[in-house]
Amino acid sequence: MDTIKVIIDGKECVGEKGQTILTIAENNGIEIPTLCYIKEVKPYGACGLCVVEVEGIPKLLRSCSAVASDGMVINTQSDRVRQSRKIALELLMSDHTGDCKGPCSLNCPAGTDCQGYVKLISQGKYKEAVELVKDRVPLPASIGRVCPHPCETACRRQMVEEPISIAFLKAFAADKDLKSDNKFIPEIKPATGKTVGIIGGGPAGLTAAYFLATKGHKVTIYDAMPKMGGMLRYGIPQYRLPKEVLDMEIDTIKELGVEMINNVKIGKDITLDDFKSKFYATLVAIGAWKSSSMGVTGEDLNGVYGGIDFLRSVALKKPFSIGEKVAVCGGGNTAMDACRTAVRLGAKEVYVIYRRTRAEMPAEKVEIDEAEEEGVTYKFLCNPVEFIGENGMLKEVKLQKMVLGEPDAGGRRKPVPVDEFETIALDSAIMAIGQKISIDGFEELELTNRGNISADTTTFRTSIDGIFAVGDATNRGASIAIEAIGEAQKASEVIDSFLNGKMVAYKKPFVSEKIVTAEDLRDREKISRAKMPQRSAEERKHDFDEVNLGFTDEMAISEAKRCLECGCHDYHECKLIRYANQYDIHPERFCGDKHNCPKEQKLVTIERDQNKCVLCNLCVRVCDEEVGKGILGLVGRGFTTVIKPEFNKPEVLTFCKDCQKCVNNCPTGALKSL
Amino acid sequence: MDCCCNNSDLSLIMPVLDKYADTKGSLITILQHAQEIYGYLPTDVIYYIADRIGESPAKVMGVATFYSQFRLKPVGKYLIMLCQGTACHVNGSQKIEQAISDELGIADGETSDDGLFTLKNVACLGCCSLSPVMMINGETYGRLTPDKAKEILRTLKEKAKEE
Amino acid sequence: MRIVVGQGSCGIAAGASKVYDAIEALIPNTDSELTFTGCIGMCFLEPIVDIYDGKELIKRLVKVQPTDAEKIIAFINGDKNAVNDIEICDDDKAFLEKQTRIALRHCGLINPEKIDEYIADDGYAALKKVLTTMTPEDVIDEIKLSGLAGRGGAGFPTWFKWNAARQSQGEEKYLICNADEGDPGAFMDRAVIESDPHNLIEGMLIGAYAIGAKEAVVYVRAEYPLAIIRLEKAIEQAKEKGLLGQNILGTDFSCEMRIKAGAGAFVCGEETALIESLQGERGMPRLKPPFPAQSGYWYKPSNINNVETFANVAWIMLNGGSAFSAMGTENSKGTKVFALTGKIKKGGLVEIPMGKTLRDVIFDIGGGIKNDAQFKAVQMGGPSGGCIPAHLLDTVIDYKALGATGAIMGSGGMVVMDESTCMVSMAQFFLDFTTKESCGKCIHCRIGTKRMNEILNRIVKGEGKDGDIELLEELCYSIKDGALCGLGQTAPNPVLTTIKYFRNEYEAHINEKKCPAHSCTELISYTINPELCKGCTLCARKCPVSAITGELKSAHKIDNDKCIKCGACYNNCKFNAITMD
Repeated sequence: MDTIKVIIDGKECVGEKGQTILTIAENNGIEIPTLCYIKEVKPYGACGLCVVEVEGIPKLLRSCSAVASDGMVINTQSDRVRQSRKIALELLMSDHTGDCKGPCSLNCPAGTDCQGYVKLISQGKYKEAVELVKDRVPLPASIGRVCPHPCETACRRQMVEEPISIAFLKAFAADKDLKSDNKFIPEIKPATGKTVGIIGGGPAGLTAAYFLATKGHKVTIYDAMPKMGGMLRYGIPQYRLPKEVLDMEIDTIKELGVEMINNVKIGKDITLDDFKSKFYATLVAIGAWKSSSMGVTGEDLNGVYGGIDFLRSVALKKPFSIGEKVAVCGGGNTAMDACRTAVRLGAKEVYVIYRRTRAEMPAEKVEIDEAEEEGVTYKFLCNPVEFIGENGMLKEVKLQKMVLGEPDAGGRRKPVPVDEFETIALDSAIMAIGQKISIDGFEELELTNRGNISADTTTFRTSIDGIFAVGDATNRGASIAIEAIGEAQKASEVIDSFLNGKMVAYKKPFVSEKIVTAEDLRDREKISRAKMPQRSAEERKHDFDEVNLGFTDEMAISEAKRCLECGCHDYHECKLIRYANQYDIHPERFCGDKHNCPKEQKLVTIERDQNKCVLCNLCVRVCDEEVGKGILGLVGRGFTTVIKPEFNKPEVLTFCKDCQKCVNNCPTGALKSL
Repeated sequence: MDCCCNNSDLSLIMPVLDKYADTKGSLITILQHAQEIYGYLPTDVIYYIADRIGESPAKVMGVATFYSQFRLKPVGKYLIMLCQGTACHVNGSQKIEQAISDELGIADGETSDDGLFTLKNVACLGCCSLSPVMMINGETYGRLTPDKAKEILRTLKEKAKEE
Repeated sequence: MRIVVGQGSCGIAAGASKVYDAIEALIPNTDSELTFTGCIGMCFLEPIVDIYDGKELIKRLVKVQPTDAEKIIAFINGDKNAVNDIEICDDDKAFLEKQTRIALRHCGLINPEKIDEYIADDGYAALKKVLTTMTPEDVIDEIKLSGLAGRGGAGFPTWFKWNAARQSQGEEKYLICNADEGDPGAFMDRAVIESDPHNLIEGMLIGAYAIGAKEAVVYVRAEYPLAIIRLEKAIEQAKEKGLLGQNILGTDFSCEMRIKAGAGAFVCGEETALIESLQGERGMPRLKPPFPAQSGYWYKPSNINNVETFANVAWIMLNGGSAFSAMGTENSKGTKVFALTGKIKKGGLVEIPMGKTLRDVIFDIGGGIKNDAQFKAVQMGGPSGGCIPAHLLDTVIDYKALGATGAIMGSGGMVVMDESTCMVSMAQFFLDFTTKESCGKCIHCRIGTKRMNEILNRIVKGEGKDGDIELLEELCYSIKDGALCGLGQTAPNPVLTTIKYFRNEYEAHINEKKCPAHSCTELISYTINPELCKGCTLCARKCPVSAITGELKSAHKIDNDKCIKCGACYNNCKFNAITMD
């Protein structure tokens, strides 16, 4: 056999005479992208991704068919080549209609593969489900209980009836795992010898610790409170999240070798400078622990508390007299936690005072309802204007009535005060209107104009090299736990790359998305959402035991089976999306007409979605050239070309050997084995 | 279109197949004859051709749908082929198309309700000096104006009525 | 006397058959002969009737109507002045006199259905010379000497392709003629086949001899039924005379020839797509290499040339390669046939030596612009070519010089545009064409042309966005680079050239939402000047959507929300009171 030598991307490669450039590159470990070439069938030349530049040849060559000759100097990554591939991918994507991922996953700040674990739960594969969740969220039992689940907000099942109970399913699987004898422990990479210090043991700090530890780094978490868990422990009441569950999840993180040091205050016990010298990298995840004030006269009276201060005191089991008449100001989840805690502490009359109406309340609907069941009274369209005391003790609150005016920038109708007042007698008032960061000990770091720590949104770097920051303490301020977890997971990747010598910023991956309307789902059978078994309001309001009793296996499995499986089955194997992310594509530049074919055309055990088809013609060619059947064919010409087995005639199906070769060779998710 | 229950007289195409079925590469020629015989390519004829030449129906369908000459549906009594060549475009073929559309209520590729007319925009007919041009059942009409085009269609309508 | 009616497709479309029939009805009363010929080339004067006395053309009658038959009979019966009113004027005579006809040398002179007329005019003499005195290598050398290049558009040296096919290993070789003339606005090849089919057959046989092919195929587009009929007849006649088939002219050279009708796909003009189509497949281009010379029809060595290329071959063999190369420029030899159409006074077939200028063709031969309007641009090479603006009218006809403008020589389509043509709309027209004709195989062409068409479409509708021109340019360059075949690689040319020469028109559409040519209906608005309006109510009555209101004898108004921009008011106003903006 004659051998030839070629230079590919500066590397000398040896090949055989008559081999194509692509084959020689592949044999020498150089990947050239292609969607339409496989060894088993003749080169076709459709996708144009395999183009390369060869010195002395003015045209780009399709390497799948261009035969190499001795001495060729080939460039597979020149700007011209990359531009050609980029445009090809953008054009392809502009006519590729499909969801890479379900809306649940895309709407999850941590990018959890909800559809994936829901599917595993539906199959009874709980451990696998937990493993998949923990790829993004190391505290699933806790988060599954408390998360306001943006995933469910986005869930398309609600266009049929109600969203999938994704969060509770997560908690269900995680509980199973925690109780099992061989709970899931992630694989840990060999020790790198690099150390990371984390300030703050809340959801963000714990998450970062988990992922950095699995990457082989030595992680130490410092926390000012007596125990780890942050707001999950000191901000979320026991009846929603039993601390025993949290403890177990923290223990798992500890088992990865993460050192956890409590009762350490930065600036007092240890300084930021100490971290700089002690650790290769530091992550600041201190949260926002100061209750915001309303600026109302009398807020300094005894008996007026901040929302999270109140919850923290209860969590710390500090002796606390709340009295009989309690008002909670605010409409968020903290207000709900506060009012329901007040009920449990024995208050007889608990009011929630909110400026707008029930419909505008930011708290979760289920929380609002459950609080009401427990006897909380809502006072809508009013706002405290003065706390009135006697001898420094709160006596009553003066409320001003409001009406709803024009919608504000966010679309919510703005409350407008009217000249009408009401006074309520009170023993305590809890101001649950927001949280702020306490910057003590972190003065060195540059802050945003809101007073939060300024961190780069793609690298999480602060103004000081080697110090990163995530979560409630940064940029836009306090948000939900899963948001902080998402940032921490991304930051752990960045920090890992930083520790490895070359920091790589987080880049939001490109995904294909499509629009689905209720009309598209109208033929789905209606199956109602599993209702979480609960203790009765009468029973639960007297103690701090968990309100929810958890799903049974049967409930969880049938609930999980309701999933519409919006995301593409092929996401992890899809060559198209992999390349799309390698070439920084912006197909929206070319948005225009798209194929709009009826979905789900079945061929024996194969489901076809022509709207995802990239017309690489591999299925047709494999069936024709390799299998010798020719069942599939191209129909039409130009842009409107589609691939189909003609007329869907039943006889056609009998020719099909059901060999699945078409499915296996599809570079994207247009074909699916049923 | 996804119906395969048309009952075409397959004996009509047999002589064509007897002549060409064994000559490789004759598919287009066979389809051209079939269309001449049936006026279009009925599904059962396509299946029959596929069977006789030993190709899969998908392959035959692929060829039949690639070339603009082939039709999978019957056409009207009068097939209006409106030239879309450059010269015709420059000289106002769009206005002619609009006029035909106005007169018959059909767009490109459609057949009028009375089954008389099918409009088909075609690539250059090559009568550029007579542009804009249309060809109806083999007869060329050149130097069209919207009014002239309407007039021609009305004459044909009248003619069809008389028949 | 001999009465000859021009019966090319154009002539027939203009009514030549009716004229022929009318004369035929009267001719038995005379001793004259009635016959027909193919395309005379002066489409703007069709139908044309020539009257010969022996070999001498004594009268050329133009725009002849069936009712003129009696005049013609009167003329041949001796009334010298009977046809004066339909005789061609001197100015129009110049249309042919200024041409140099090689490929078209018999067109309009002989009856294409009579092989004897072809033979009488030196027909098949070249074939005889080649078969009896020249080796295949001699033929290729002679073609090389002539400098003949592919007339289909790309201008690749013919000898090189022939030689490559000749050198290719294998007993079985094919010669193919590409008569799939798909450029909208081009009809040179049709004219050659309809008017002089034997010239094509002779050229092809010489080519087949040169490369060693025993089988030749002519791929004719389906839209040319007359060409197919005449070529079929010609092939039959050539066979009968022993000029086709086994042992041609008694030599040991044998070659069969057949016609394959296309089925309507522009992409089949691309040689590998044409081969696929010949094999009965979808006409989708193959990857190149291998080139057809190595692996073509049925994967055997094949050579494909265009009709006009073959039409020059017999002449070259008879007159010598150097006679051919004596015409033209440094890098473009011989003559080129153009189909001159559009907003031109004298449209038709023009064959001139390379090296003439565009101005020579459009103004000197073509007589300038219809209605003496302003010349704006000429589109060369159809959807694969580009437009050349007024300031480049002195560009010489030469592959290199035309290529330098961004356009191409092309197969010969020359569409003339005046100031009323919107160049953005023109580009959109071509992209619409390529989008419809794209085979759909490669991404760049399938989706790229579609997206370009969409962008252009929104620009002409006044919905263009800032950055659209740059986006178009980016797409253009990428498609040129990435498309699989010539169709896709050249599809951006109309866009690139119009952006290059008429960028201001694009900008006006996008930024000001105006069409400077007043051609894009969505961007036109009509207003009535109250000072000039006499209140005659004509416009209101002509308006198909009742968008115009006003009392008799008082100024009228147009409701622009109702207006469908049909222009009826504008065209009918007798007082120039309506302005178009």
